[in-house]
Amino acid sequence: MTRLEAVQAVLDSLTNELLVVTTGYLSRDVFKIKDRKENFYMCGSMGNAYPIGIGLAVNNPDKRIVVLSGDGAALMSLGSLALGNSLKLPSLQHFIVDNGKYASTGGQPTCADGIDFSQFHNTTVYSVSEDEPASPRITLGPIEMAERFRSCFV
Amino acid sequence: MTYDECRAKGYDFIVGVPCSCFKQFIVDLQSDTAMSYIAANREDTAVAVAVGAYFSGKKPLVFLQNSGLGHVVNIVSSLLIPYNIPIDFLISVRKEPFEHTHMYKITKDIVSLLEIDSQVYLIDSSSHS
Ligand SMILES: Cc1ncc(C[n+]2csc(CCOP(=O)(O)OP(=O)(O)O)c2C)c(N)n1
Ligand SMILES: [Mg+2]
Repeated sequence: MTRLEAVQAVLDSLTNELLVVTTGYLSRDVFKIKDRKENFYMCGSMGNAYPIGIGLAVNNPDKRIVVLSGDGAALMSLGSLALGNSLKLPSLQHFIVDNGKYASTGGQPTCADGIDFSQFHNTTVYSVSEDEPASPRITLGPIEMAERFRSCFV
Repeated sequence: MTYDECRAKGYDFIVGVPCSCFKQFIVDLQSDTAMSYIAANREDTAVAVAVGAYFSGKKPLVFLQNSGLGHVVNIVSSLLIPYNIPIDFLISVRKEPFEHTHMYKITKDIVSLLEIDSQVYLIDSSSHS
């Protein structure tokens, strides 16, 4: 499976779910393939897409919350995955695109071979062996991204 | 700031990492059934959870010890500021023992350099052990 196929598979599984996407190529891929107001592109704060999802799911038990992370990002805040295991929020779903590397910074290896991500709460892992080139940069401004995402809730 | 003062300010979602001087604060908030509380395991995680609460229409407060300030530098700089997300902080400022002394010296400067546009309450922890 390639990175874009994995992203496509995640997007195909969505109807009206709220989606928080990690920093790097994956946000750009989602923006390119299917931008929607229910998407929040978390450019920066690597590792924090999943705990944002926790904050959303705790407060919106009736809405499905989906988070898309890379293996490097998930490893950067592994403790937040433990928090997810502890809280077991039923409406929170985590997709991890595991290419075993930091693709966005040149493909350096991660230590994802040292962990089984599928042990975590509601987590689906896509193992990716081939990477496409980067999608174009996101053209929305950050304030606009935040405001339109928040408007889905309030 | 006591828990009652914090309630009076309208916070309805609290997330943080303990400091001994938050002992009573945490006891009080856990006994308040009307309050949502998440016990976080790292300060940046606490901020991220608060961001999710903010998007959900809540008024969140993040509490941390000043020793955890380093953990929030990136999420403040790359998320709260550029995306204009107002998250308020309650920070206990420790001076002793020795492992806290340098951070004590630079705490106010770090907070000021972060240019957090929302409320930051610094509380002196010297009256606590
Ligand atoms: C705190 C921090 N450290 C490093 C970076 C640089 N960086 C941006 S994306 C990225 C790689 C992310 O890896 P992963 O989550 O596996 O996603 P992939 O690029 O493989 O799709 C890195 C290291 C950053 N943005 N933030
Ligand atoms: Mg990766």
